[in-house]
Amino acid sequence: MSASLEKGVNVLKEMIDAPIASFFNSCVHCGICAEACLFYTETGDPKYTPIHKLKPLRKVYEQEYTLVGRAAKALGLSKPLTDAELDEWQELVYNSCTMCGRCSLVCPVGNDLAYMIRKLREGMAVAGHAPEGVIGATKRTVEIGSPMGVRLPAVQAQMRHVQEDVGIEIPLDQEGAEYMLLLSSMEIINFPEYLGAVARIMQQAGKSWTLCSTAFEATNSGIQIGVSDLAKVIVSRIVEGAERLNVKTVISPECGHAYMALRWEGPNLIGRPYNFDVKHILEVLEEFRVQGLLKTEGFETERVTFHDPCQIVRRGGVIEPQRNLLKMVAKDFVEMSDPGKYNWCCGGGGGVSANENAEQLRLTAFKRKKAQLDEVQVDTLVTACANCRIVMEEGLEHYQMNIPVVGLTETIAKHLAKPTGGTPQSD
Amino acid sequence: MAIKDDTEFQTALSGLTPQQQRQLAARFVDSVINLCPDPRVKAAVNVARQGDVSDAELAMARQNAKSASVESYTQCGKEADWKSQAGHFVALAALACVASNEHADTLAWDAAMNARMACTCETIAEGKGTRNREAETQYRMLDEFLES
Amino acid sequence: MNEMQFLTWVRGPGLDIALGIFVLGVIWRLLEIYTLGRKKDLSVPRHTSGASGWHTIVRRSWAPPGMFKRSPVSYVGGYVFHVGLAIVVFLFAPHIALIDSLIGLSWPGVPSQVIDAVAVVTMAAMVIVLVDRINNPVKRFLSGFEDYFTWTLTFLPLLTGYLAVKHLLLPYTTMLALHILSVELLLIVLPFSKLFHAFTTFGSRWYNGRMSGQRGVSV
Repeated sequence: MSASLEKGVNVLKEMIDAPIASFFNSCVHCGICAEACLFYTETGDPKYTPIHKLKPLRKVYEQEYTLVGRAAKALGLSKPLTDAELDEWQELVYNSCTMCGRCSLVCPVGNDLAYMIRKLREGMAVAGHAPEGVIGATKRTVEIGSPMGVRLPAVQAQMRHVQEDVGIEIPLDQEGAEYMLLLSSMEIINFPEYLGAVARIMQQAGKSWTLCSTAFEATNSGIQIGVSDLAKVIVSRIVEGAERLNVKTVISPECGHAYMALRWEGPNLIGRPYNFDVKHILEVLEEFRVQGLLKTEGFETERVTFHDPCQIVRRGGVIEPQRNLLKMVAKDFVEMSDPGKYNWCCGGGGGVSANENAEQLRLTAFKRKKAQLDEVQVDTLVTACANCRIVMEEGLEHYQMNIPVVGLTETIAKHLAKPTGGTPQSD
Repeated sequence: MAIKDDTEFQTALSGLTPQQQRQLAARFVDSVINLCPDPRVKAAVNVARQGDVSDAELAMARQNAKSASVESYTQCGKEADWKSQAGHFVALAALACVASNEHADTLAWDAAMNARMACTCETIAEGKGTRNREAETQYRMLDEFLES
Repeated sequence: MNEMQFLTWVRGPGLDIALGIFVLGVIWRLLEIYTLGRKKDLSVPRHTSGASGWHTIVRRSWAPPGMFKRSPVSYVGGYVFHVGLAIVVFLFAPHIALIDSLIGLSWPGVPSQVIDAVAVVTMAAMVIVLVDRINNPVKRFLSGFEDYFTWTLTFLPLLTGYLAVKHLLLPYTTMLALHILSVELLLIVLPFSKLFHAFTTFGSRWYNGRMSGQRGVSV
């Protein structure tokens, strides 16, 4: 057994807890999880059945934690986990799973399969069986401090650009601000309009907010790859920044995994609760709406629908705010089939979009979203995750569907009631 | 009258007809076109520059510019290549140039902002800090356009 | 050993051994699984009504929206077989009498004609889910020896019980002895096979509901 494999197996042993043991013992091979997984439904290939993707973890569980399995291993009836097996499973664990958690919602015996995939990835990564693309992101997180290699000057350049665009100064490192805004790497690189939209909304709401020079980025590829040590580094940076600036609330950006990582895994990664709140931007906007601090005018005349990002909705618990917000600015809002927590993934979450080997499969899996969109016949697709947005734009482009994809925050900002005085606004 | 800031810039732009906006937007993109190697983007700008183009030509150019912009996105988790990202924003600027007439009122402004973003990416790529002079260049281009 | 001795053995020492292995096995397996424990969740919970482990234990008994039509055989076959099995095992008068003799608890049974009918329907459902396991590409792909073995171990008590009651195939005494023996095999294997889901399903549903409930999502 190679040293890295041994380390990987040891990590898997550490990962196995009572829920995982209970889950493996409950599975009756009914195959219903396959019916909930877009990688199976769109390819028809049984190897994409979620529970099958967990076979290496099951093997370690049985050989290490069950009497029968230990006996079988001692008698040589079951062989130890090999590098070849993990190599074979890499495609299943990383390319064909976005950790969207839809399977966890339908398993009749109650298995949380996404929870187990998350744990299996920890061992796979340590054993050296994570895909190249995500290993690169890991390396950049260590060396540069950012999975996509974003440095502060890039953020400052964007701040300057946004200031020009919307005519509002973007605060940086303001101690005692109520909100600390985080950006996803994707927003820094691809979507400057998000920062502009937040600036305008905050100005209207009269709230103090700031960016933080030591923690501007929320994207947590540590979670996607399955390396808790890295995920912890990223979360710790945000915690230190928020505590240094003494903010009340940290706002997680329009990104799925960033929110799940910071809001739900974060305290467990650093081993203590935060002394500030973490809210998704949609939750903050919803609070503003309820408090009457978010005033809009006019409506989108086009037919729109909303794509629920898995980690914000099913794995994050933010389900209603986006609907209330969208109805403020869209008269013809229509739900896709299986909305809310039952949504279908865009196909690119959990590191899949960063994984070049997964590209063809991802585009095939996108047929699910295509079918959902064909049913509702909308003019615009709104979402709240920069990664979903790009994945869907690529999918739509691939299938030659002409539907623009926009972020919810910028859609709201587009309809902000004009201020009665003050700086002129662009539109 | 020389334009000095974005407020004046925006006011002057809003006084232009959609046709004029399109032609000016094409000049904004031209100024940064060397940051984008995609021929579809250049072709879209050429369409915008022509005075009279049919809706079908415009739609075709829009489709091509859109494809160029989608293909040049930086994927989540991949290393940011600011040079190619500059190309992405040039594609977006070109897309603004050939926007449909319904969206023509902010067309030149959108093209200008995306062209500036392209320059911003280039300065990040070259590690030259965060400032660039594209805004001033655009003010001058608008001045010249208004004079001609 | 003649048939009477065989029956006496399965009713006496055989049953004792099987029950002993079953009870100790279940206790052992439950400890083996649940003493692994889990880490305390330090995130601040989001409270949503209906989002808890207990809710999920109940809720997961129904097909989530859209799932029934994707896997109708699994759901219909699954319900009929599980409910049927429960009726036959726990509501057949001789079974109640046996439980009464073992632990001193009893309840009213249902007429044996009803049990007959339910047994036939249950066996039919089991055959259908077996055929589905062989025909459905996902199920066939997932299935191994254990899946077919445990199916057989579950089916045999139903079959032998029915044949015994109906006095078919073999003399009653022999068939009854075989019936009891098949149940004993089932009891012995149950804690150490996927049949143990009869116990862990509730724990699994609870964990799933609890972990999702922390995030305010009712599952």
